[in-house]
Amino acid sequence: MIIEVKNLKKTYEGAVPTYALKKINFGVEKGEFIALMGRSGSGKSTLLHQLGLLDTPTAGEVIMNGINLMSLTEKQKSKFRLEKLGYVFQSYALLPELTALESVYLPLMLSNVSKKIYIKKATEMLKKVGLAERLHHLPKEMSGGEQQRVAIARALVNNPMILFADEPTANLDTESSKVILKLFRELNKEIGQTIIMVTHEPDDKKYVDRVIWLKDGAIEKE
Amino acid sequence: MNIKTAFFLAITSIKRGNKGTLAMTILIMTLAYVNLVFIASIFGGIVEAINKEAVDNQYSNIVIEPAIDEKYINNKDAIRQIETIPKIIGVSSHYIDNPIVKYDEHKDNKDVKSSRWILKSINPPDEKKVTKIHESIIEGSFLETTDRNQILIGKEIAGGYGGDLDHLSLGVSVGDEIDVFFNNGINRSYIVKGIFSTKSTQADQMLFITKKEMESILKVHNWASEILVKIEDTGNEDVYIEQIRELGLKKEDIKKWSDLMGFTSGASKSFTMISIILGVIGTVVAGVTIFIIIFVSVVNKRKQIGILKAIGMEEDTIILYFVIQALFYGVVGVVLGVSLILFVIRPFFISNPLDFPVGWVSLKVTFNIIKISNLSLIGAALIGGFFPAYRGAKESILKSIWG
Repeated sequence: MIIEVKNLKKTYEGAVPTYALKKINFGVEKGEFIALMGRSGSGKSTLLHQLGLLDTPTAGEVIMNGINLMSLTEKQKSKFRLEKLGYVFQSYALLPELTALESVYLPLMLSNVSKKIYIKKATEMLKKVGLAERLHHLPKEMSGGEQQRVAIARALVNNPMILFADEPTANLDTESSKVILKLFRELNKEIGQTIIMVTHEPDDKKYVDRVIWLKDGAIEKE
Repeated sequence: MNIKTAFFLAITSIKRGNKGTLAMTILIMTLAYVNLVFIASIFGGIVEAINKEAVDNQYSNIVIEPAIDEKYINNKDAIRQIETIPKIIGVSSHYIDNPIVKYDEHKDNKDVKSSRWILKSINPPDEKKVTKIHESIIEGSFLETTDRNQILIGKEIAGGYGGDLDHLSLGVSVGDEIDVFFNNGINRSYIVKGIFSTKSTQADQMLFITKKEMESILKVHNWASEILVKIEDTGNEDVYIEQIRELGLKKEDIKKWSDLMGFTSGASKSFTMISIILGVIGTVVAGVTIFIIIFVSVVNKRKQIGILKAIGMEEDTIILYFVIQALFYGVVGVVLGVSLILFVIRPFFISNPLDFPVGWVSLKVTFNIIKISNLSLIGAALIGGFFPAYRGAKESILKSIWG
């Protein structure tokens, strides 16, 4: 099992505490493509953030490839995010001053890979997502779908153990959404990429192996 | 910390960011730098002008006065030998008296103007080597060695030349005759040969006659009430004082010009203090300016900082990314500021010095001022860049990305 989630809780303290996640338990096998679904406020994005080390749970454990993520220091978390995890956000999340190629080789540069190799790998990754002609384009010169594909290339360039996607098609038209979801499916099938995706589109079910339904911060069904 | 990536992001951000903002930021930094150097240099220039006036028109470099219980310096051999010390440009012996000077315009004993003034005797060729009074003649001419019944007077005594003491002046012009009543009881009449005007009020309150004339009045020969010594390397007076003492002037009171500055020395210190205070304020303003620029940049790039952290960039690298940008603004500000100061502003002030009451003031741009200003602005850039970057980098990823 690549991810084990044990009794995971997330509470937002305040005058009236909000229990965003209540004792979540589940596991993810290597190579699985999982969708986290549920209504707004069900806790699906919150769960993704805890799994992806973007936030710190109130209680519980997330064990990834045998490592208890709760035991990592901030520096170790940064390294883990860089080397083991990839993220695709709803709003593309590209740096406006970087070209597609630069955006994609940024994680490799952070990993101290040589220039020759990071340019080669980033170029290949952009070709894989169908952007061979857009290497030197800035985000403002690309469509939403193209920007999201750059974000996917960036997330995958370091060969992450798990790819997290937070409503990756929410800002895209139907055609672009299909392209992105098909790309995820291909990556999952071809290279066995483990993917955990938050989505609210019922149609997206057909692309994934498993759906975890959340309701009021707890798993409703699988 | 990944220095390479921090540099890459900083340079890319500067290259592809908003050009107007970049130009404005660099302009502000350049002006902040020019402000730092200009203030220090102009005050340095004022202090230099005060000192220059004192050296040029009053004290030269070294002043030798009689021993405390003596009226004159009477070691003739020693006086003669001072000139032989290497790198001494000139030596001028003075006799000094404090006579009453009278001017009776119509020779009718009515409306006679009189006052006590300081009168010195000079050997004109010697004096030309140690002071610049001869370059400050505004009417008439300087004394000649053989002049006997002619006198040179400062504008404060003459009056009518915009001096500060016009109410005490005699109101005389070149060619007028004045009477001088020496302290030993002798009185003589002199024709005003020339009137001089320096930037020193003290110098302009003096009268000069020739040495020969004064010796005939005082009945002395080759003695002196004071001796002025001009050296090649101003600032190195102590070395020469030692050598002068070795000639046999052991008991004489020997001072360098800066010891005699009195009030003006206090003014110089005050100017230096004001310059330091304004420099510190200028540095703080520059630092706050950079802080605001980087703070706005951090706020605008809050989401980007979150993304960078999410993809695994360490906080140190993010801080360095912003600090490099701040340093870039600081360094470019320094480079442009130095160029502006050295190639535009300084040459302008050298060609067009400011007419201050203390003298002609230009910018005194020293290596020290440049060095301190460079360090101040770059230090301000570092501090001003670090704090907002630190704050931005420490924010949680989710808060950075989604607010």
